Amino acid sequence: MIRVGIPRALLYYQYYPMWKTFFEALDAEVIVSPATTQTMLAGGSSRVVADTCLPVKVFLGHVLNLAKECDYIFIPSIRSVKKRVYNCSKFLGLPDMTRAVIPEAPPILDTEIDINKPSRTLYQTIYQLGRHFTWNPMKIKQAATAAWQAHKDYYQLMAQQTLTPPQAIAALTDKTMPAPQLPANASPAAQTRVALIGHPYMLYDEHINHRLITKLQHYGIQVFIPEMVTTPDLEMYTDRLVGNAYWTYEHEVVGAGGYYLDSKVDGVIGAMAFGCGPDSLMMDVVRRQANRQREHAFMCLTLEEHTAEAGLVTRLEAFLDMVTRKKRRRQELCV
Amino acid sequence: MRIGLPHIGNLNIAMKALFDGLGVDYVIPPHNNRRTLSLGVKYAPEGLCIPFKLTLGNIIEAAEMGADTILMAAGYGICRLGYYAKIQEQILHDLGYNAEMVQLGVSEKKLYGFLQMVKRLSNNASWFKIISAFRFGMAKLNALDDIERLVQKTRPVEHQPGTTNQLYAKAIQDIDQACDNASIKRVKQEYIEKLLSANKNGNARPLIVGITGEFYVVLEPFSNLDIEVELGKLGVEVRRSTFISEWTKFSWFLNPLGVNEKDRIHQAAMPYLKRDIGGDGWESVGEKVLHAKEYDGIVHLAPFTCMPEIIAQNIMPTTRETIPVLTILCDEQLAKPGMLTRLEAFVDLLERRRRTANKAQ
Repeated sequence: MIRVGIPRALLYYQYYPMWKTFFEALDAEVIVSPATTQTMLAGGSSRVVADTCLPVKVFLGHVLNLAKECDYIFIPSIRSVKKRVYNCSKFLGLPDMTRAVIPEAPPILDTEIDINKPSRTLYQTIYQLGRHFTWNPMKIKQAATAAWQAHKDYYQLMAQQTLTPPQAIAALTDKTMPAPQLPANASPAAQTRVALIGHPYMLYDEHINHRLITKLQHYGIQVFIPEMVTTPDLEMYTDRLVGNAYWTYEHEVVGAGGYYLDSKVDGVIGAMAFGCGPDSLMMDVVRRQANRQREHAFMCLTLEEHTAEAGLVTRLEAFLDMVTRKKRRRQELCV
Repeated sequence: MRIGLPHIGNLNIAMKALFDGLGVDYVIPPHNNRRTLSLGVKYAPEGLCIPFKLTLGNIIEAAEMGADTILMAAGYGICRLGYYAKIQEQILHDLGYNAEMVQLGVSEKKLYGFLQMVKRLSNNASWFKIISAFRFGMAKLNALDDIERLVQKTRPVEHQPGTTNQLYAKAIQDIDQACDNASIKRVKQEYIEKLLSANKNGNARPLIVGITGEFYVVLEPFSNLDIEVELGKLGVEVRRSTFISEWTKFSWFLNPLGVNEKDRIHQAAMPYLKRDIGGDGWESVGEKVLHAKEYDGIVHLAPFTCMPEIIAQNIMPTTRETIPVLTILCDEQLAKPGMLTRLEAFVDLLERRRRTANKAQ
């Protein structure tokens, strides 16, 4: 049985159920790297130049972890999933860069997804990916259809049960339903509500963000995440804030940011990686919008491998104090 | 309507000629200086690259001088640069300037979009007038780039240190003042002769260093702290393939016709980087591979946090074609003494390599 490795980093959080279904339908075994550890991060960092961004270093750490355990590693180069909206260079060059800096890695399946090319090209790409496992085109077609269905189910599950991507993936793979930890609409009005915005690989990788969500919940905060906003809303707010979308995965930041700044939450926290190209612009757009509205508190956490937990906690506490005070004053005014 | 635009290399001279020819009111902001940089750094989001900060500084200075229409490059699929105009417009409005940013799409509409824009900006001048003004601007740009190529060759072998730079500065002035095609030709010829006579002997074989990397920092001497001049002082001949005139010629006229000057570079990069990653990352890798035999070393210039160049920087050391590469990250923190130390060490290394290679022969 051919073993395909999928690193638990970057686009894993968006597409894992789809990829897993596809490879398993082609009788391959899917191996996922374990949750990020300090060793992985250090290993990934040691391979690249210092100013590569944190998520990419983490990604390479995961690849190193998988290197000996599988026959192929799946690293797609996703150029575009929507017409005329392109992706960050780091996603485009990811397979080539991994091959260059981790020469001991097994062969890399570097499928290039570009929706701007004719649809025939997309089908051919999928077929070529499947060819590594079977000669049978019908089997590949069935696998692709099943994968697409799995992807839709995954997003539906997250939206319906308000699960975070890791919870939804756990629910799909283990078939045991965890209790939803982020109840959306069933809380007392007095509770402080904070929205988190950022890419899934920043928000749900607990090593990168020092368990940000868990920490907020410990303070008794009700946490909102970008996945709770519907796609039309995300697109509408992206459009309102920056005009046509420019990067593929920016509605998670700018669309969600705009949406939550307009909603009933008490504060918005943005999590971005140091040196992230798209986010350096998009977080700034959200910050400007927050300044203009003067209604919600906004804080941007820039995370990197030197970010210390104590510093993060201090900033979080100060931010929450501010949010609470603001909220109290507003209630006093109302009374 | 008063047009303003940011600086990059000698582009302002060509644009001046174009606007003069069209009879449009315009301002040219002061050349990049410390104030431009501090304005840019002050108002730009911190994580952005030096091209954004410097062009923002230029734009603010242009707005201070009364520009109400500002030209800025933009477009899809070319790293962050395509998005800068929108953010800069927001920053400008937040600062209280009411200028309109006109985005010159460089990757989607090419020639057609550009001409449409020119038609609008030139108060509906006739196409004949537009084309002749444009050709005049291009002629200036071509002349300047031809002179610059010779300047790069002459710097390391000049009789009297500093002559070449003086000649080049004067050449820029004279070309700027030239008022018709004949005088451009005359000025160009005159300076080419002067430069050739400044050369001390034809037999010297100076070290050859290729300059590659991100478009803006390669072309704008203020952002790379005059790296070409400094290399010249160290006795190194600089070569680069990025010139604004070449770029305009290809990206607006020849690429739409299917001629791409970069095909050779892309082919060379293929074994290591299979696809375009935006910006100039593909070209950086390709140029290293292509010129490994030809040059003694390569200086790779990249703005700090530049996404495509980081990928290129990670891939470059692993190519089979070996040639020393010095990556210099340009940002507002880059200081001359530090850069000079690194350049001197790099040139020492190249000299030693050449000596051992000669001995082996």
